[in-house]
Amino acid sequence: MTAVWSGLSIGAVYALVAIGYNLVFIAYTTFNFAHAQLMMFAVFVTYWGLVVAELPVLLIFLIAAAGIGLIALVEEFIAIRPVKGMHAHLVTTLGMATLVDGVTRLIWGDQVLKVPATGSDETLTLFGGRVSVVELTLIAVVIAITIALTGYGRRSRTGLALLAMAEDREAAQLRGINVGRLALGAFVFTGVLAGLTGPLVGPKTFAVATLGAALALKGFVAVAIGGFGSLPGALIGGFVVGLVEALSGRWLGSQFPTIMVFGVLILILMLKPTGLFGRTRERMV
Amino acid sequence: MALVRTLRTIPSWVLPLVLGALLIAAPWLGISSGTRRLLLLTCILALVTSGLNLSFGYAGELALGQTAMYATGAYLTGYLAMNWANDLLLLIVIGALAALVVGLVSGIPGLRLGGWSLAMTSFFLVLLVPQLIELLEPYTGGAVGMVGIPGPVLFGTELDTVTFYVVVAVVTVAWFVVIRNLITSRHGVAFQVLRQSPVLASSLGISVYRLKLTAYAVGAIPAGIAGALFAFADKYLSPGSFGFTMAVTVLAASILGGAKSIYGPLIGAAVMQYGPLRSTDFEQYAQVVYGAFLIIAGTLVANGLAGLAKKGMGKLVARWDPPEEDKGAVAAEPDVPLPPLAGARLRAEDVHKRFGGLRALGGVNLTAEPGRITALIGPNGSGKTTLLNMICGYYRTDAGTIMIGDRDITGKPTHRVAREGVARTFQTPLFPEHITVREAVAAGGYTARYAGMPSAILRLPRYRRAAEANEAEVTTMLRLVGLEHLADAEAASLPLGTRRLLEVARALVARPKVLLLDEVASGLDEDEVDRLAVLIRRIRDAGPAVILVEHNFRLVLDLADTVTVLAQGELVAEGEPAEIENHPRVRSEYLGIRQEVMP
Repeated sequence: MTAVWSGLSIGAVYALVAIGYNLVFIAYTTFNFAHAQLMMFAVFVTYWGLVVAELPVLLIFLIAAAGIGLIALVEEFIAIRPVKGMHAHLVTTLGMATLVDGVTRLIWGDQVLKVPATGSDETLTLFGGRVSVVELTLIAVVIAITIALTGYGRRSRTGLALLAMAEDREAAQLRGINVGRLALGAFVFTGVLAGLTGPLVGPKTFAVATLGAALALKGFVAVAIGGFGSLPGALIGGFVVGLVEALSGRWLGSQFPTIMVFGVLILILMLKPTGLFGRTRERMV
Repeated sequence: MALVRTLRTIPSWVLPLVLGALLIAAPWLGISSGTRRLLLLTCILALVTSGLNLSFGYAGELALGQTAMYATGAYLTGYLAMNWANDLLLLIVIGALAALVVGLVSGIPGLRLGGWSLAMTSFFLVLLVPQLIELLEPYTGGAVGMVGIPGPVLFGTELDTVTFYVVVAVVTVAWFVVIRNLITSRHGVAFQVLRQSPVLASSLGISVYRLKLTAYAVGAIPAGIAGALFAFADKYLSPGSFGFTMAVTVLAASILGGAKSIYGPLIGAAVMQYGPLRSTDFEQYAQVVYGAFLIIAGTLVANGLAGLAKKGMGKLVARWDPPEEDKGAVAAEPDVPLPPLAGARLRAEDVHKRFGGLRALGGVNLTAEPGRITALIGPNGSGKTTLLNMICGYYRTDAGTIMIGDRDITGKPTHRVAREGVARTFQTPLFPEHITVREAVAAGGYTARYAGMPSAILRLPRYRRAAEANEAEVTTMLRLVGLEHLADAEAASLPLGTRRLLEVARALVARPKVLLLDEVASGLDEDEVDRLAVLIRRIRDAGPAVILVEHNFRLVLDLADTVTVLAQGELVAEGEPAEIENHPRVRSEYLGIRQEVMP
């Protein structure tokens, strides 16, 4: 059961990354390779705030949210806006991801840095498994974010406008939606979200320069399982990936988790390429 | 000017061949051993990059998996050389085959979803490499590295560093000949069509999935070969050479040299090897530099150094040797014989289609007889194009059947429908950029007169025959539509009316049984419409079933043998033009003529 808790909490992190991918997908029908790196950067900022600068927790949340939001804004202007098309974006956002990786490595080096918990660091026994407060918070927060965003998407005008935009950019434009600004807002929001959740993620994942690449992959598998554009799908996908990883690590050995996750990806692509909640879009001539 | 003309008559393969010979002969041209090593590493990197170009530049799928294939080739070669048989030629072949398997295994699932899923799957594969090396430690040496690889042996003699270099150079040149032959063959044009418009590619009978997979898998071969060679370059392998940085290096070399170029990888690889990879300090800053480079190159440099060079050449040529400008069509020569085309009856029965809550088609019947023109008319939104798209297999049919002759094509994917003999034109003519009229039209016969990649690479008689037959057909059809004089112009830059005629020619090259013309006359001037009418009649007389979706009512009445009228997804009327012209519902709903009250 300890492995299950551990799997669910790391799965929550993957779900967060997957939600970030999905929001950009909804807003731009494109893929922001660098989103996982944004989250990694938030974790490092948290480390810096807590351990190096010893700032108050609330301030760290603010700095991370503002800082990562700003990086996302810059990314939108240099890597997304100037080029059109998914494949072009893959190259530029992969560049952005590599750049953030490199900068992180230059500043903080290659070591694994332990990020202390922002709240309580107690450990409880729940349903026969050990689980820390940090892990429980993470799971609860990610579920809450998914519910809130899904509700927001269905009820609010902005949410509906976003969905309209995802469906047909030009038609949305004709209905008076400022497509460019809305998309930019969504993009920056993914950065802010990564920043805000960074302090929660850090104690679970630690701060390490390879975190971005690892999160990118697991987050992508979560999206592939849940289906592109589906937020509840991302949540479930994240949990599945986390559980596969934790359980295979527990039963098969420490070299297997990543390979097993790759196996899951291959399986889902072969059996249901659109994911559990994805829709097939019919092509237009 | 005369000089430029003479230079242009030299075949384009002469210069690369001379440079290739120089590359092979380099050790005797007085280079230092350091330079020789750099050239060796350049060749290896260029091989890997060339594989990426095939899938990324030509088939349009970003894939980072070359590094995994490269690692497969290298480790397998190292292991086999130590424990089984040490023969360079054999090991190169095994390395290439193993890489091909890796390519297929990762490409089959990766391409299922399309878009970025291959990028991610292959990226995953690359990050898995160090873990797999660790997992297979007894064979690979794990993190310590594989040591004790013997020197390369070819035909029983051990190679020294100079002869090994020569072998590497020969293999590299040979591979670039292969890739050059592939890209300049009809497959190269097919790649361009695929990359720029999958919709068009599938309507020409090309399976988008299969061709992309082929490009990705063939791209694995040079990576595997490069791996086999690399195993002997240092006689030592460590996981550090195959990580994510290598994947990004390859991508950077590809973009730098020009992803859509044949020889670009050599330039890109040379720049990488002579520049950043030589400095030991670089490793620290590698990611920052590559990251910034990918953003800048991805946004600014469309096609790398090769693209810039090509553009420069183009300008130079245009300046010294301006082409004669004439982009209009001349009248179709009525004496061009159109070969008879075997037609087939198209029958759509009780076809239904819904898009969410919208009923696009509610039980429509359509029959088009061979040797006749069946017109499909109706107001905007009546479901004409939807019906065409369902015949072509772009949309799935909710209910009903569609038959060509006695073959059921309901629910078949577009490329299968095309191979059953359905050809079409599009409302907005689709022509990939940067290809000539002749190539664009020839693409219509890509599957009809198919010749496989191996025969194209070796330029076997089989390939030559297929290509010649296709060329002859292209010439006939271009003559038929009166555009032969434009054969060497860039297709996408021609005026709309000309492109519409070209689409008809392209559709005919496939010798269709059923020809679908989607608003082929819209946007044409009167003169062009008249010529088009003559052309369509001649096509009908040759035999296929012609379906004409058209808004020009006069043209429809003039041309059609049968007219089918749709409104709001339902059949309103069907009959001969004269009946339709006086049909009360057609007059009120389609033509908007108020009915006179009958006395």
